[in-house]
Amino acid sequence: MFKRIVVLCAIVAVVATGLVFAGGQQQGGSQSKGPITVGISLPLTGDLSQPGGSAKRGYEVWAELLNKNGGLLGRQVKLNILDDASSQSTIVSDYNRLITQDKVDLLLGTFSSLLNFPASAVAEKHHMVYVEPAGGAPKIFTRGFKYLFFAQPAPAVHQADLFSKWVLSLPANERPKTAAYPTRDDPFTKPVIEGIRAKLEAGGIKTVYQTTYPTTTTNFDTIAAAIKASGADLVAEGAVFQDGVSLIRSMQKINYNPKVLFETSAPSESQQFSSGIGVKNTQGIFYAVSWSPQANTPDNKEFVSTYKEKFGELPPEDAADAFGTAQALEAAVKAVGSTDQNKIKDWLHAHTVNTVEGKLSWDQAGRPQEAFLLAQWQNGASQIVFPKDLSTSNQIVFPKPNWQ
Amino acid sequence: MIQLVQTILLGLLIGGVYALFASGLTLIFGVMEIVNVTHAAFLVFAALLTFEIWSRLHIDPLLAILITTPVMFFVGWGTYRLTISRIRSAPVSMSVVLTFALAIAIEGAMGMTWKNVFRSVTPSYFNQSFNIGPFDLPKAQVYGCGAAVVVLVALYLLLSKTWAGRAIRSSSENPQGAQLVGIDIKTVAALTFAIGTATTGAGGSIMSVLYSVFPASLYLWVSRLLGIIVLGGMGSLPGAVIGALALGVAETLTSTYVSNQWAVVVYYIVILVVLLIRPQGIMGFKARQDVVA
Repeated sequence: MFKRIVVLCAIVAVVATGLVFAGGQQQGGSQSKGPITVGISLPLTGDLSQPGGSAKRGYEVWAELLNKNGGLLGRQVKLNILDDASSQSTIVSDYNRLITQDKVDLLLGTFSSLLNFPASAVAEKHHMVYVEPAGGAPKIFTRGFKYLFFAQPAPAVHQADLFSKWVLSLPANERPKTAAYPTRDDPFTKPVIEGIRAKLEAGGIKTVYQTTYPTTTTNFDTIAAAIKASGADLVAEGAVFQDGVSLIRSMQKINYNPKVLFETSAPSESQQFSSGIGVKNTQGIFYAVSWSPQANTPDNKEFVSTYKEKFGELPPEDAADAFGTAQALEAAVKAVGSTDQNKIKDWLHAHTVNTVEGKLSWDQAGRPQEAFLLAQWQNGASQIVFPKDLSTSNQIVFPKPNWQ
Repeated sequence: MIQLVQTILLGLLIGGVYALFASGLTLIFGVMEIVNVTHAAFLVFAALLTFEIWSRLHIDPLLAILITTPVMFFVGWGTYRLTISRIRSAPVSMSVVLTFALAIAIEGAMGMTWKNVFRSVTPSYFNQSFNIGPFDLPKAQVYGCGAAVVVLVALYLLLSKTWAGRAIRSSSENPQGAQLVGIDIKTVAALTFAIGTATTGAGGSIMSVLYSVFPASLYLWVSRLLGIIVLGGMGSLPGAVIGALALGVAETLTSTYVSNQWAVVVYYIVILVVLLIRPQGIMGFKARQDVVA
């Protein structure tokens, strides 16, 4: 019995290897006739698998819509998606494989600054354009890369600018006097919170508590207790997801109610966020977001409806970022009429692209130059409150009501 | 002063929850010398199972323990029979490799079933506390501690008062001798592994109320749980309780008075210090390997 299994496994292995090689050769030979292949490695398992899965669905919807409308340069688009298991070393070998072995025509980026940091270096080395749907950490842009483009409206430091501006615009007697800044030790969340802190401190709001907690933190009771003891009026947390939900739960348990509560990322995961803290408790929570399902931007309606039809839920922000990223690359390829990486790079540096996330444009280092939207949970749904011309709600909930 | 007492209370409560999570792990190591990395995967699996029971059947997660415990018992039995029984004669380190591989496989299977979406179980008490004077005692943690006491007492009684328990202990202390007096040590091993895994039914239930859970959550627990049983003395139930409470308090005190950065490092420091000073742990005993083996 055991022997038979071993023999069977050996046969399967040999056949599979043969197929892989056959596939590889076939792809190598397809220069102009076959589909345009787009290579991507995403964290589909492991710690970052939540945004990774969303991004995959966003890319898939993009390819489906594009192929339905005749494809790119008259050719169909084929996505070649690998799983990097949320590992920095796996993603390096993944992109190397996509470029040198699979010989993909185009690349698209992955999720989180953590993974985009090494992945973009591989692309740069091979002179391949690398448009990324995430990865706004400051150090991503200080390496002098020319093929890197971050396809969200603004880099991390400026993500919450509209929030800081709103807080400081409050009349002096209502404005929060003290603030607490807990943040996850993450290259993406930290700069957002530091950006807020710098602006609010300059505006006279005293910092009474700040801490950086490691990514593996599960126990937020003590952080909540310490913030309560500090008596902060405003809390701005650099959260990814689990940590954002956990800190709010811990605040609820000790009945601590800040007047203003801002979190990065976590509140944008609409369904999972509201079921995690209780939908009544979402009232008044702020977050900055690159995209909204209601926004009147190119293809947004089609994207939202196709996504909903395919996956049975509203697309999360991460999926929209992936879709917008692919749109940016698509615009450049169409404009230059080929997959020539240098031409695409020059075109993206020189032009503004219109995507589901609105307008995107980049400086020489690939930093985006536009602004994030400020969103707030109101009556069980997220609303855009700033900027005014894109807002979906005219009012702002302030102060945040007590937990229920 | 109030903050100090509150911090220690929170530490003891979360320590109680950790003891519940670690109880089955220490049993399996103590009796079988298997470092069971899969334990964390089973906890997350039980938590997701609790989510299904709670969201579909509207059964309180604490009551769901009555369903998840037997389910996890059979999951443990099956896992042992299909995989772990095959490496029983291999060195202990092989069990780490095998159970780690199993944990990854289970993570993948859970990812296919439940997708990479966070699930939260939110019964009325999930965000409430008992208030005693100026102190807040989060209800979910208090219930978790209660469940830990029940599970640990049940395990203790099982091991010391029943025939099956005596068979388990004798086959751990002297397998050849146990075999000689007619104990079927293969069945006993499967039973032990199944009982250890069954404890994740209660652990998973409390986990689902305390945290939003998704398949990869298991990685947050592997080292934490191993730290607890190393400190307490691998294989000792009272040791697991002492280790868990000590680490819970150390974690909250460090988080409040030193920094959050250090709070999660405490576990690794504890493992290092214990290995240097008292390799058998607080309640462990030094076995004379030359005679036993």
